[in-house]
Amino acid sequence: MRTLSMLLISMISFPLVFIRNNSIYQAIVMYVVMLFATLLVFIYAPNEQMQGIVQKIFYFHVSSSVTAFSAFFLVFVASIMYLWKNAEWWDAVALSAAEIGVVFCTLVLITGPIWARPIWGTWWSWDPTLTLTLVLWLIYVAYLMLRLDAHDPKRSRFAAVLGIVGYVDIPLILWSVEKWRTLHPKPVLIQEGGTTGLPFTMLFTFAVCLVAFMLLFFYLLRERISIIQSQHTIEVLRHQVDNLPTG
Amino acid sequence: MSGSKVFLQQVLALLAKDLKTEWRTREIFTSMFVFSVLVIVVFNFAIGADTELIRQVASGVIWIALSFASVLGLQRTGQMESEEDSLQGVLLALHDSSALFIAKMLAQVVYLLIVGLCILPLCGIWFHIDFIACIGYIGIVFVLGILGLSIVGTLFAMITLHTRAREVMLPMLFLPVSVPLTIASVYATAQLIAGMTLRDIVDYISLIGVFDIVFFTLALLVFDHIVEE
Repeated sequence: MRTLSMLLISMISFPLVFIRNNSIYQAIVMYVVMLFATLLVFIYAPNEQMQGIVQKIFYFHVSSSVTAFSAFFLVFVASIMYLWKNAEWWDAVALSAAEIGVVFCTLVLITGPIWARPIWGTWWSWDPTLTLTLVLWLIYVAYLMLRLDAHDPKRSRFAAVLGIVGYVDIPLILWSVEKWRTLHPKPVLIQEGGTTGLPFTMLFTFAVCLVAFMLLFFYLLRERISIIQSQHTIEVLRHQVDNLPTG
Repeated sequence: MSGSKVFLQQVLALLAKDLKTEWRTREIFTSMFVFSVLVIVVFNFAIGADTELIRQVASGVIWIALSFASVLGLQRTGQMESEEDSLQGVLLALHDSSALFIAKMLAQVVYLLIVGLCILPLCGIWFHIDFIACIGYIGIVFVLGILGLSIVGTLFAMITLHTRAREVMLPMLFLPVSVPLTIASVYATAQLIAGMTLRDIVDYISLIGVFDIVFFTLALLVFDHIVEE
């Protein structure tokens, strides 16, 4: 259910990538929302009764994990589009999303244990959700390594295949690890019958956090894609300069 | 009709070529078998002398040995194809490149099944496990699990053929993606060793089956993009 809702959010937020407004406005909006989110987390949202201040990491942890899943979904879509259309732009999207996804996935794997140590009394447990995140992290780190290593012309196609295989693997990994014991807190965001287990203040704070993370993700994505495109342009120009007749 | 006949003929010809080469050199099988025996022996030292503990982890050791041996075999197969560009020649002769994928995958299944058949009795003797009592069910798990390992492994072997650090990249890609398969195969085997029947492991069997079908379909869909120039 938890993963399902994440996938749902990632699919809804996906069209944001097509919004191409001026990047400085996007940066300002992102900055304001992030500041607002931080204020909400530390001042507005109440302390959880049982867990105390430790619970506040939830806002960053869950937002990071939704962002990471969105990024991996984007890698999947961009990989399919690249193999289908063979357009460089989709390849740039896939690479950028994979890099950012690995960063956010790393954040999830760092913030999770920080929360788990005082609450569960252990840094790590081989619970389904944790195992899934770790395996995904390994797959997408391998994706980045493949991009660095493979010879140039076919590298993008290999990476696209791995981007598809990795995402298709998610439900299978989840299915297999769920046959283990479950320790991870059940999703409090959406409970059976459509009601939420969170009080409004916490839910509002979380929603703002999620928006802030998404804005950050798409801002980074835009910037990364434009860097890749600039690199491409420079290569083309350098090639032209090299081929100029001398004298 | 004749198209599928040609396809089948090409698959069989390629498979026969690989198996014939292997029969003459026995290079891949030897390295896979010796390596998996080594893995089992080393694990045996790591676990210690507790017979009950060894019985519990035996299925894990067997599947780790098989997936490591699979990496080794795939690397040797890949090396053979990349020498003197023989892959290009094979691809030129083919009508449909997925014949190559299916043949390579079946060859890998054959190697792994033989290695599996050889290490099962060894594990039975060393770990004091009676495999004969449940050999039929274990056979199902082995065939399906090995099929999955070979599908994913062959796909990634064809990808890493073109990478510089081939020896590193293949396990880096292969092992995390095959995690669901490994989990399901290990637990299915463990439950069979513990005396359970097919009905208790039907969940795991269906997981392995779904893994096989999904990745086989996916591999056929994307294989053209991997090999085309």
